Amino acid sequence: MTWPEALQAAIDEFADVFDPMERYEMLFEWAAEVNELPEAEWNDANMIHGCQSQAHVMCHLEDGLFFMRGGADAQIVQGLMAITCLAVNGRPPEEVAELEPTFVDAMGLKASLTPSRSNGFLNMFKRVQDEARSLTGGA
Amino acid sequence: MSLDLDAIRADFPILSRKVAGGKDLVYLDNAATTQKPQSVIDAMTHYYEQSNANVHRAVHTLAAEATEQYESARDTLADWFGTTRDNLIFTSGTTEAINLVAWGWARSNLNAGDAVVITEMEHHADIVPWQLLAEEKGIEIRVVPIDTESDTLDMDVFSASLPGSRLVCVVHTSNVLGVANPVAEIISKSHECGAKVLIDAAQAAPHEKIDFTSMDADFVAISGHKMCGPTGIGCLLATSESIEEMEPFMSGGDMIETVTMEKSTFASGPQKFEAGTPKIAEAIGFAAAAEYLSKLDMMAVHTHIRGLAMYTASEIQSIPGITVYGDHSVTEGSGVVSFLHDSIHAEDLARFMDAGGFAMRTGHHCAQPLLDAYGVTSTNRVSYYLYNTKAEAAAFIEHLRYIVDKFA
Repeated sequence: MTWPEALQAAIDEFADVFDPMERYEMLFEWAAEVNELPEAEWNDANMIHGCQSQAHVMCHLEDGLFFMRGGADAQIVQGLMAITCLAVNGRPPEEVAELEPTFVDAMGLKASLTPSRSNGFLNMFKRVQDEARSLTGGA
Repeated sequence: MSLDLDAIRADFPILSRKVAGGKDLVYLDNAATTQKPQSVIDAMTHYYEQSNANVHRAVHTLAAEATEQYESARDTLADWFGTTRDNLIFTSGTTEAINLVAWGWARSNLNAGDAVVITEMEHHADIVPWQLLAEEKGIEIRVVPIDTESDTLDMDVFSASLPGSRLVCVVHTSNVLGVANPVAEIISKSHECGAKVLIDAAQAAPHEKIDFTSMDADFVAISGHKMCGPTGIGCLLATSESIEEMEPFMSGGDMIETVTMEKSTFASGPQKFEAGTPKIAEAIGFAAAAEYLSKLDMMAVHTHIRGLAMYTASEIQSIPGITVYGDHSVTEGSGVVSFLHDSIHAEDLARFMDAGGFAMRTGHHCAQPLLDAYGVTSTNRVSYYLYNTKAEAAAFIEHLRYIVDKFA
């Protein structure tokens, strides 16, 4: 998988850091550089269910390409949303629908992806893919 | 008698593993499940390596050994819990034990209009079965609220709820607050009003010697895995009178006396409620856990883990932004300390702690009504057990201070 330049830069940066605390700090720095969904736009319709945190996502097409914005009250979830933005934004929606979230593993953040009922990332990623499918008209 | 913590820690192989990129594991999620000593692991392994067979049936050597070990586990546990083998029903844990009371006793002994008293402090396992039964039978559920100022049950409402009630279901020690309820008073007052009492002792049995006979409850529900035993096993302690009044809610093999195509008759005693192939290795492991604890001074265990909780609560409540839940000024209670920071999300905080090697719990702890009473949806929770040290508690507090300094 070839990742967008900004995401590849993030993956490369994470590859040199082995301490999980430093990884989280780095995640927050990247999160700060990505547009988030402000709390004023959070509503029931864009809420992601199955998260311990409050998490919301909104997706749209621009010139036929997929873009998402995400917001969460937990910083780590917000950070993972920001990284996901780097992975999916600007791609054709059909590609987003088929994407595997391996970038999180490549960044050493797999611990945040433990498939438990309290983990929101997979729910968020699935929601983004569902939105991508619906935007292609194939929902 | 004090605890030899170095010796105790050496009994638990998992405590020497590293996590989070080579950091020492500091396991502080004991209210969810405790770690297992080598003797428990060995007991189960030995059973599978040497004696594995189904119980109560075949006449071959392995079947005899398996039956002997399984029933001997019942004896060991009955002795540990201050009762007899005829009063100990194996279940998968506390949840199944409570369900057994709901569907085995209450369903056949309560009628529309009878009241069951529960409290706002209950785990979901002691709320949901009663709601389902209420839907089916039309029984009334009376809820005793918690006073969030004192972190205690409102005993005036409790007393007022008793007339006309047939069953009182109370958690011995809260899995969220670490607060111990006045169980003796609850039992005696309930009995005075003619109500039976079910005590959820999941969080109490690990650090307090439960003596079923002197406690005088009608039912006590216990999980093995919260007291050094394996998962998937627990027990319901029930008085002989209550067992006589119970009907099986699971049926099949191993619980019958005779079966014809028209009608079946049931075994008597605990076996009547243990349908199917039982949890043999798990029961053996559970008994090994009780044997392990029996070599320790349980008063010292209680004092040790409660002391760690009191120390932790007292230290972290001075950290800016931290609110501690539960009364940790009293020596009664468990090793649980729940808290929240006012700006760091509970889930973030738990992950930051995990990155430092500290295993703690986040969430509603299966007690949403209790959290509602405090106006929160989740808490962070640390819970100590007999192998935790003051140095671990101090390291936890230091790492929490570091996280708050860095991210708040």
